[in-house]
This record gives sequence, structure tokens and C-alpha cells, in this order.
Amino acid sequence: MKPIRTLKVGVSGIRGVVGDSLKPLLLCRFARAFATYSGGSTILIGRDTRTSGEMVKNAVLAGLLSSGCRVIDVDICPVPTIQNAVRHTHCKGGIAITASHNPVQWNALKFIKSDGSFLNPHEAEELLNLYHQQDFRTAVSSELQPPETYSGAIDDHLRKILERMQPAREPQLRVAIDCCNGAGSLMTARLLELLGCETLPLYCVPDGRFPRPPEPVPANLSKLCQMVEESGADVGFAQDADADRLAVVSEKGQAIGEEYTLALCARAVLSREKGPVVVNLSTSRMIDDIAAAYGCPVYRTRIGEVNVTETMCELGAILGGEGNGGVIYPKVNLARDSFVAITLLVELLRSSEKTLSQLVEEIPSYVMIKRSYEIHPHLIPALIAHLSDQYKEEDLDLRDGIKIIRPRSWVHVRGSNTEPIVRLVVEGPDSATVSMLRDEFEGLIRHFL
Amino acid sequence: MTAQDMKQLKISVAGVRGIVGRGLDAETAVSFAQAFATYLEGGTIAICHDTRPSANMLRASVLAGLLSSGTRVVDLGIVPSPTLRLALPNLHANGGIIIAAGHNPTDWNALKFLRGDGMYLSARQGQELLEIFSHGEFRKAQWDEIHPLEYSDRAIEEHLNRILQLFPAEPIRKRRFKVAVDCCNGPCSLLTPRLLEALDCEVVALNNNPARPFPRLPNPTPDNMSQLEALVRASGADVGFAHDAEGERLGIVTNEGIALHQEMTLAIAVYIALETGWCTQPIVINISTSRMIESLAAKHGVRVIRTPTGQAHVSEQALLRKADIAGEGSGQVILPRLHPGPDGIAAIAFFLHYLAGSQETISNIVEQIPVFYMRKENIPLASNRAYRTLQRLRELAQMQKGDFAVDLTDGVKLESPDGWVHVRASMTESMLRIIVESPDPGRAKELQRWIRDQVLE
Repeated sequence: MKPIRTLKVGVSGIRGVVGDSLKPLLLCRFARAFATYSGGSTILIGRDTRTSGEMVKNAVLAGLLSSGCRVIDVDICPVPTIQNAVRHTHCKGGIAITASHNPVQWNALKFIKSDGSFLNPHEAEELLNLYHQQDFRTAVSSELQPPETYSGAIDDHLRKILERMQPAREPQLRVAIDCCNGAGSLMTARLLELLGCETLPLYCVPDGRFPRPPEPVPANLSKLCQMVEESGADVGFAQDADADRLAVVSEKGQAIGEEYTLALCARAVLSREKGPVVVNLSTSRMIDDIAAAYGCPVYRTRIGEVNVTETMCELGAILGGEGNGGVIYPKVNLARDSFVAITLLVELLRSSEKTLSQLVEEIPSYVMIKRSYEIHPHLIPALIAHLSDQYKEEDLDLRDGIKIIRPRSWVHVRGSNTEPIVRLVVEGPDSATVSMLRDEFEGLIRHFL
Repeated sequence: MTAQDMKQLKISVAGVRGIVGRGLDAETAVSFAQAFATYLEGGTIAICHDTRPSANMLRASVLAGLLSSGTRVVDLGIVPSPTLRLALPNLHANGGIIIAAGHNPTDWNALKFLRGDGMYLSARQGQELLEIFSHGEFRKAQWDEIHPLEYSDRAIEEHLNRILQLFPAEPIRKRRFKVAVDCCNGPCSLLTPRLLEALDCEVVALNNNPARPFPRLPNPTPDNMSQLEALVRASGADVGFAHDAEGERLGIVTNEGIALHQEMTLAIAVYIALETGWCTQPIVINISTSRMIESLAAKHGVRVIRTPTGQAHVSEQALLRKADIAGEGSGQVILPRLHPGPDGIAAIAFFLHYLAGSQETISNIVEQIPVFYMRKENIPLASNRAYRTLQRLRELAQMQKGDFAVDLTDGVKLESPDGWVHVRASMTESMLRIIVESPDPGRAKELQRWIRDQVLE
């Protein structure tokens, strides 16, 4: 049987390709499962700018209403704004309609709890069970409520950032932004204006027609780099389609790599506050070096925003995040939030009085390679078992796939939560070491493809 | 299982109708919208809805289904369903979906499917739609084939203008009629008071707030028009009109404050059409409409064509026969010169236009119409039992051929000069409908008792 590669119904919600597997009936039923799971209370919904967003939103709305929910619709908003709004408006839960960094033909539902964080794997499992049982809460006419719209979510989010972070408005900075025509288009320029920056916008039309692949990795940011270089901007910021992740371009027009976003933000935060830092297993060791310099402990979790945020709450962490450009600063938002990251980085540039390149140079550097390979999901456990046998003498972390930890390098192999692929991440002190490790593991993985 | 527990969902060539949360759910609506979009192969579909509590949920379901199929969707929002019919050709739409359940109580709703010309799908087309629905394979749009949702807020204005083109305002304005109207807080609230004001009527409006729940059962039968009767009496209005919740059925209260039987709405319209020479072509009505229509038409030598019940049949025949007027005894008046569907709002203008040109009152007109006695009874029955019962009645009909003319085009109808009985399965609810009519009230009662015994045997 041909595997279905375009639909992921799993613990991180439901994700699929529009016009293929992501059908309105499926979406409607998932919304009903979530409504049932939430006991039919108030649910907030929002979406990114994808062209399928309106269709998906209506399927979700139909499902929630038919199960008797009160629905608050914030429509197009960044995901961190939606997460903040769930908490701000005291909703029982939320559904964010976004496929984040996935290509334009994808869309997804992400399920949010009352504190703004996503469902954890156990809760998502329960939701899945409800979905499969198809025994949903059903409202009769007299229990149906008219949907409400709320247009203040972006204002609330901006206000909260300014109140909680008290950023300075000087000295003057020129900032280029690339919102990928995503949800950031409605908010990023406004934030920079509030921060007293001059903004040079690129791809800030929220029409969901992405001019580049949404993942903010260096290969996708050549236009922004060019713009920074030509305009003489102090820095360039690039978001994915739902503005949870941020990547940075230096004043020299170089995409410095998304791993640096968290590292630089850590420097901004830890120079003022002390406390635990939580990151996932695939995040660069730069964070360990910076945290060590400020005397703060680092804890690692499985991949997935909710795994990071839950551990952060347990430990009372002051900062968390992921190497993919996701920065979590719980003082503002228990979510990956590119707006918080922008505010921290603008603060760092101003307070340090250094250029971005100088700040990057001060961080001990590593070489990292990320690869992914298409694989049928059911082959992944065998692959992981094989690797853990092969490397059983070494220091292993088996919480999420397999991570082989060596003094000067590490290798992480795991199945994606969101796509039918296996991911390989290698980090080491130099390209030669990293290339060798990549070849070694790529060879092992290819046996299973 | 009691009737209360019975799932109320009727899927037929007329669309899908049911009690929301007890049969009609979001999933059914999503799939039907997908099926319709698949049937029309994308294109443009306009939608509207009435003011029921379930309207938003079903609208979202329909939008999800249509958008996912690559349809260009124009949402007219809350408008009467005849307004949508009239708008479809202007919008160059290939079809329309009405989310409304007309005369049904507030916990019901329905999806009704229209062609680009404003007509319901024909029985054959409805059948094809059902086949696609049952098959469950629907058209899918890729991400760059999904259209953004469009809105139109001009439809009510256009409907108003078209009515005023057909019935010039000036003569009506001169009379300064006082008109009471009960819109059931449905979509007509947005149109009928405006029409009456354009005609310089003094408007005494009741239940014209679409944000409020239905204040009464939506079917404009005398039982549901007592508030309007009181209003007509208290205000001394020249006439009172009651809409259903979507603008198809119309009930009338006379200048004396008496609510008329539902059958009288079409009878008065036909009387006017014949007296004024508006109507020269055959009149098209359904099989269970009162014989009043034949009596009136006979005086003017105009033919009456009867069709099976169901708006699609009446509209189709009206168009085919180039009818000037058509309709159903349930209070539906069709004026094909405007569009081929029932239009309670246009009917009001038609009545006022006549009253303005004559010295008659509504009561005077009623006196001119021959009297018949009609009795209706609904017998709740699950679909499977209903159709078994009809089989049995058909056999009975064959044996009664000596006494009655037999019509088996829609259920069973037995006719004789002194009265008729008609039994059919409801298209929209789980029940058998019995209708009996005779010029003699005793005979009507007798026929009703006889046919009820036959049904319940």
C-alpha cells in the first residue's frame, strides 16, 4: 500500500496538504473532538495567512459551534499572539490554524490550553482517542452560540511586550524585516515602530502567497540579505509564516543561521536575570557556553514546543527555546515568540553598543549540519534501535530518537513529529569532523530508506 | 422509540433538512456542500441564510465544503431566499445554497440547492447530487485554487428595485395604506418594511429584528397569526401580512382583523391575476392545493395545471407553461415575470397594487372566492412505514376506481366532484400528510375519517 505522506494525525495536532489529505470533514471532526475534550466551553481560534486558512477556519468553526462552544475568532494573527490571546481572554482553549514553517500547500491545527501552551503528548493522545471514537458532544439549536470576532489580539500582545519588557527607544536603528507574507506582516512593523526603529519592509503583504519557503534558514533569506547590505540596515529579521520563529541577518548582509537567535537572546536575558534555561536536544551547544558564562544551568528536553514549556514551568526557567529560531521568554508569553525575540535583540544591540557581527564573534562557534530523509514512519523505531545498539558503548540520550554525545561533538537522529521524515543533526568544532560524522550516519540511515 | 427520540434528518432531491443536533449536523452540511460544488464543477456559488440559531454553524460548514472544492463563493448574509434566487443571474453564479428552513420550527434547518437561473434543482438533477453525496468522492482544490470568500450586500436593494419595476409605486403611494407586517424576526425584516416605506405605506411592523429569536412558529397559519390579528385590529390597518422565516410563505390578515386560511393567499393572488388580466396563460399549482383555484380559473376560461408537491415541480412547470402565476396552497405565490420561485415580498406588492387600483378591501375579495372546506392531518410515521402504507393505499385506490378518479403522481389522490383526499409522505419530515377538501363541511369530515381509518389500519 502506498503510504500516506501528506497527513500527520498525531500528538502535535493534525497537519496535511490542502487539496489532498486535509479535507474539511476531517478538520470539522477534529474541532469537534477538541470541543468535546474542552467540555464545550469558550475556544479562541486564529490563523496564519495561508490561502487555505479561510476554508480550514470555517471547518473548525462549524465543528466547534456544532458541539456547543462559544467561539472567539481573532482571524489572521501570529501564533504567539493567538497563544497570548487564549490566556488574555480567559478561554478554555484555542486552535491555531497554521503549518508554521511548512510549505505553502500545507496547513495544520494546533491545540492550545488555557495557559497558552500546546497540548502535551498525553493530552494530545486523549484528544486523538476522542477523535477516533467519533462520539462528539452535540449541541441542540438552543445551545448554539453565535461566533464572536475579536480584533484586539495584536494590540494586547504588543502592549504586553512593552509593559513587561520596558524596552528603550534609542539609539536609532535601521531594521529590515522579511515576514514571508505571513501573519507577521500585520504586527512586526508595528512592534519596530513602538521600539523606535526605522523599518525596511520586505514581503509584508499578508496574502499567504509565500515568496520564499517559509522556514527562515539561510538558504531562504537571500533577498533579505541583499536588502540589508544595500540599505545599510543595522540588522535584518526573518520570520516563518506564523511568526513563532525568528532568524537574523547581520549588518554585513549575512544570514547568521537560526541557531544564533536563541544564543543571542540568551545573552540579552542572562546578562540581567539569573535562572535555569531549557532547550531541546537538537539545540546548539552555544547555549551551554553562554549559560555557563553567566552561571546558569541548562536543561534539555525532547523536541516539541510543549516539552520545552512544560519543563520550563517545572523548573521556573527564565528562558527557553529551540535552535530553529524559537525563543520562549515566559515573562511575556509561554510560547515561541518572534516578537519577544526581536525586542530582546534590539535591546542587546542598543545596550551593548556593538554591531551584530561583533556580537556573533563573541560567541564560541560550532559547525552544525541538519539533514532530513523521507522515510515511512513505521521504519523509524527499527532505525533508532539499530543505532542505539551500534553506539551502545557511548554516552546516549534516548528520550527522543537517539542522541550520541561526545566531548566535542554530538549527533541526533529522530523521526519528525510533523512530517514523514527522519532528521539528522550533527554539531562539532569544525567542518571536517562534522562532515565525517554526517557521512557515517547518513550511510546508516540510508539502509532503512 | 418515541417521535422525540427519532432522528430527524430528511435527505431528498429537495435538499437536506432536519433538526440540528438531532440528525442535521455540521458533517452532513460539509459533505453536501462538497457534493454540490463537485456537481457544479467549481464555478461560482452564492449563499444566504436565515436568522435561526444554527445559521452560523451551517454557514461555516457550507463555506468549508465549498471553499475546499475550489468554488468561488459569494456570501449574501441574511437575506430572504427569493432575494438570493433573483441575485444569482446578476452574480453570474452557477448555483446557490439557501440555508433556511422556511416554515419549520426554530430548531430545524435545511440546505436547499439552486441552479444558476434561481430554480431548484430538478428531480433528476437532485438525484444526481444525491449520487455524488452518497459516493463521497468530492472535488478538491489545491492551495492556489482556493478562492477568497466574497461578500455582496446589494441583493436586497436589487430585489426591492425589481419589485418596484414590476409594480409602479405611484398609484400605491397615493392611497397611503396602513399595513401591518409580522416578519417573524426573519430575513424579511430587512426588506419588507423597506418596501412598504418605498410605497408610502404607514408601516406597523411586528417582529422585525433579525437579531431576536422567532417569537412564534414560523409557518404563517391562522394559529400563528394571533399577534398580527390583534395588531391589525388595534391599529386599524388596511391589511396584515405574516412572513415565514425565509420569505416564501405568506399569511394574510383581513382589514377586519381576521387571519385567513393559508390556502387563501394563493386564491386571492389568482383572483387578482384573473380580474386584472395579469394572467392569461395556464395557472400552475401542486396536487394538494385547494380547488378554489380551478373554480376561479373556470370563470375566466383559464387552464389549471397540477404538479406533484415540491417547489421544483411547480417552478419547472410554471416556466414550461409560461405561466403568469403559480404557487402552492401553503401560502406560496410565484410571479414568474420576476423569478420562478415563491416570493412573499413580491406578493405583498402584488396585493397592494391591486388594492390601490380598485375600491375593494381584502374582505371584499374573500367574499368573491368560492368556499371550500379543507382539512389537514399529519400522521407521524417513520419513512419505512410511511412508504409501506402508501403501497397499501395504492392497492385500495385501484379498488375505488368506480367512485373516484385516481392520481398516483405523488402519493395517492382520490378525486370526485364532491371532494378529494390526498395522502403522501412528507419530503421534509417523518410523517404522512393527509389533506381532504370538499365544498360541503360534512363531506370533508366524512372523507377525513374514512382516509384516516385506511391509513391507520
